[in-house]
Amino acid sequence: MTQASRADRAPLPLRGLAVAIAVVFATPVAYVLWRVLTLEAAFSDVMHESMGPLWRTMQLAVIVSVATGVVGTGLAWLLVRTDIPFARVLRLLAPLPLVFPSFVGAAAFIAGLGPDGAIRGVLSVFGLDVPARFRGLGASCFVLTAFTYPYVYLPVAARLAGLPPSIEESARLLGDRPSRFFFRVVLSAIRSSVLGGMLIALLYSLSEFGAVQLLGFDTLTRVVYATRLLDRAQSFAAATLLLILAILAVSIERRMRGSLRHSAQPGLRVKAPVSLGRWRAPALFALFVVLLVSLVAPIASLAQWAWRGIDRASSPASALGDQLADLGAPLWSTTWLGVISAAATVLVVLPAALLAARYRSRLAPAVTGAVLGGFAVPGLVIALSLAFWALNVPFFDRFYQTTPLLIAAYVIHFGAQAMRSTEVAVATVPRHVRESARLLGASPARRARTVELPLMRPGLVAGGGLVLLSTIKELPATLLLAPIGLQTLTTRVWTAFEDGFLAEAGLASIVLVIASGTLTWLLVLRRVDHLG
Amino acid sequence: MIAPATLVLTTAVAGCGDDNDAAADSGTVTIYSGRTQNLIEPIFDRFAEETGISVEVRYGDSADLALLIDEEGDQSPADVFLSQSPGSVGFLDQKGMLASLPDDVLGLVAEGFHAGDGSWVGFTGRKRVLAFNPELTEESELPTTVLDLVKPEWKGRIAVAPSNGSFQDFVTAMRFKLGDDATAKWLKGIADNDAFTFANNGAIVAAIGRGEVEVGLVNHYYVYQALAEDPEFAAINHNFAVDDIGSVVIVTGASMLKSSDGQEQGVELIRFLLQEEAQRYFSDQTFEYPLAAGVEPAGVLPDVELGGSAEDIELDQLGGDLQSTREMIRDAGLEG
Repeated sequence: MTQASRADRAPLPLRGLAVAIAVVFATPVAYVLWRVLTLEAAFSDVMHESMGPLWRTMQLAVIVSVATGVVGTGLAWLLVRTDIPFARVLRLLAPLPLVFPSFVGAAAFIAGLGPDGAIRGVLSVFGLDVPARFRGLGASCFVLTAFTYPYVYLPVAARLAGLPPSIEESARLLGDRPSRFFFRVVLSAIRSSVLGGMLIALLYSLSEFGAVQLLGFDTLTRVVYATRLLDRAQSFAAATLLLILAILAVSIERRMRGSLRHSAQPGLRVKAPVSLGRWRAPALFALFVVLLVSLVAPIASLAQWAWRGIDRASSPASALGDQLADLGAPLWSTTWLGVISAAATVLVVLPAALLAARYRSRLAPAVTGAVLGGFAVPGLVIALSLAFWALNVPFFDRFYQTTPLLIAAYVIHFGAQAMRSTEVAVATVPRHVRESARLLGASPARRARTVELPLMRPGLVAGGGLVLLSTIKELPATLLLAPIGLQTLTTRVWTAFEDGFLAEAGLASIVLVIASGTLTWLLVLRRVDHLG
Repeated sequence: MIAPATLVLTTAVAGCGDDNDAAADSGTVTIYSGRTQNLIEPIFDRFAEETGISVEVRYGDSADLALLIDEEGDQSPADVFLSQSPGSVGFLDQKGMLASLPDDVLGLVAEGFHAGDGSWVGFTGRKRVLAFNPELTEESELPTTVLDLVKPEWKGRIAVAPSNGSFQDFVTAMRFKLGDDATAKWLKGIADNDAFTFANNGAIVAAIGRGEVEVGLVNHYYVYQALAEDPEFAAINHNFAVDDIGSVVIVTGASMLKSSDGQEQGVELIRFLLQEEAQRYFSDQTFEYPLAAGVEPAGVLPDVELGGSAEDIELDQLGGDLQSTREMIRDAGLEG
């Protein structure tokens, strides 16, 4: 007993590291609070005006979170654990909707559903008519769900890939129907991954700006933007409300998922897929619908824009060639920024995950909370806060508007996306395995390399993959903090879009989608068994 | 894990190297540009060619860049700030962060197109218009004054962008010309006419082209840009009467920061923006109104009273009072 409790206590260096991580991740929060306190506004007025947006934000966040939970979990189970046809290709496509910058995705839907839009055209072939105006809560929930379900899909698929088949088999031997054993057995084993993904989708909906702005849905983040210049007290008050919502969401999720330490099991055995039987056709149809909506439809709109521009040029082939050549440098910077940021993020949140998943520590909730909270702060505020800190803390000013600071902004903004996956990954290594390795005399480095990392890999890679995709499409921090002259594909899409050059915006977006797809396959899916 | 760390270091070092090289000969000017790269980079390139001064540009949204400059304070790397709207320069002016431009630069534009205290100078003008879809609406049906859009026949047919800077600037101008009461009444009338709200001008023009909405209040050049990309695009500008408030010209502003240590180069750049070559580029390539004396607007652009609006409206005050404008728009029920 005494030995167990000693093992539960985290070593001092780890606790120190965790506190340092929490401090770094809390910098945007500290900045917002500092501004709220120094701007001197009548707080009650400001809060009163935020009530409408607050209510709308909560509606959006809850609906999107639940919808992504259902869609993401369903897709992951079908593609990883069953004998659904075309699973390999579909597994490659399923995470991709995350790559659309939300303003592009929303604009593609608005245009696609317009009177001569590509989506409307396809639907009318099937005799379906949709309203031409695509706005408001429903439209916002639809768009955000279509583009963010991968926040649930990727970690859940990674978790499912690591589960022993015995779970389903034993349930089946006991006579459960497929639907019954899914709910009874599988769901309880993957609960922490599902809830973690839903939390990320929820936090994302809190801070999302591009889509809700175009879809005319007035959330708190829209207030943050609309008042940023004219009424800064109001702007920061809305940001504070976002933080409060984030803290609430993080604590609720923490209560709901229970302890990680007992839910996680490693997957070491061979897997046999579950046979869907007569559910194969309906399941495949549902999968196709999801991918049609979230991937094919927006790409069709983008392609329509790009085509209109190329088609009209005097020599279409060379016009296309010129434009693509022009995207070479942004493509390269997008790639290395994304990869480095993803790796850095996983490394940075790993100590926090170790503390949370392996030790009994009162520090852990505060540390993981700080990491998760950063995702509810709009990117613009993250960028401004890093500018503030970098220029006001001695020594750090030399990093202002350099690549390391930009990567730090990505890590702080997107750390949440790797946090839960990394926690689950760390919890996946059972204590008895670690203990036996230790008793056999393996050094800590050797234990990490040969025992722990292989077991943790699916979770780490999935978490890094989410960060990679998010970094690729990040806009506000990139615009404000990147070294002067550095362009990414997303800044190019934005520039073209801002000026109404839809052809150029469409082409750059398609390159963005292809690049993200290739990177995801090379770096994420291929590296996790049964995921790619 | 070693490789990425090395990469970060080398890029950081390379970044420092660039700065030193650039500062060598005629100096460098660092610009924060709210105008996007596509619509100004050729002019920066010509400036560098002509003067030997190297140009470094950070592109972004005008309001975001103004906030960044405010955060940076005295340490701002920016020498020059180019804003798409009076609101963002006004914000920095109120904070006392802008330097006074020399009289000979201010003198390049008419009296009303630079700040009274010389803190910024307008370099292009954008006229407000009513864009419409000719397949849905006859031009003869369209009013000669923006004030008529509150009439009942326009119910459910108008698009506006209430959270966009250009609409707010227009409303501020209306307040100066017609007073707050009349403006509040007009805003209420637009809201009561079930106007559709959009995020920005581009979204309105796109929706008109698609036939989703009949008419919309926008800046004039969006339709030209859409047509340049797609000649069959179904949107045309309707101009209100020349002296109507609906035809007001809003300027884009160039300013220099007090904290800049490259003021000489900064002034050179701003002067260059007001020379004939640059002014002609803005007129012919981006379809905006040149503001420098002696440069005629491109043929496609409708007439405006470039001198006239200055008599009634203190354009340089547009930046200062935007917060009350925003509140009036919101109180009318137009936001969202």
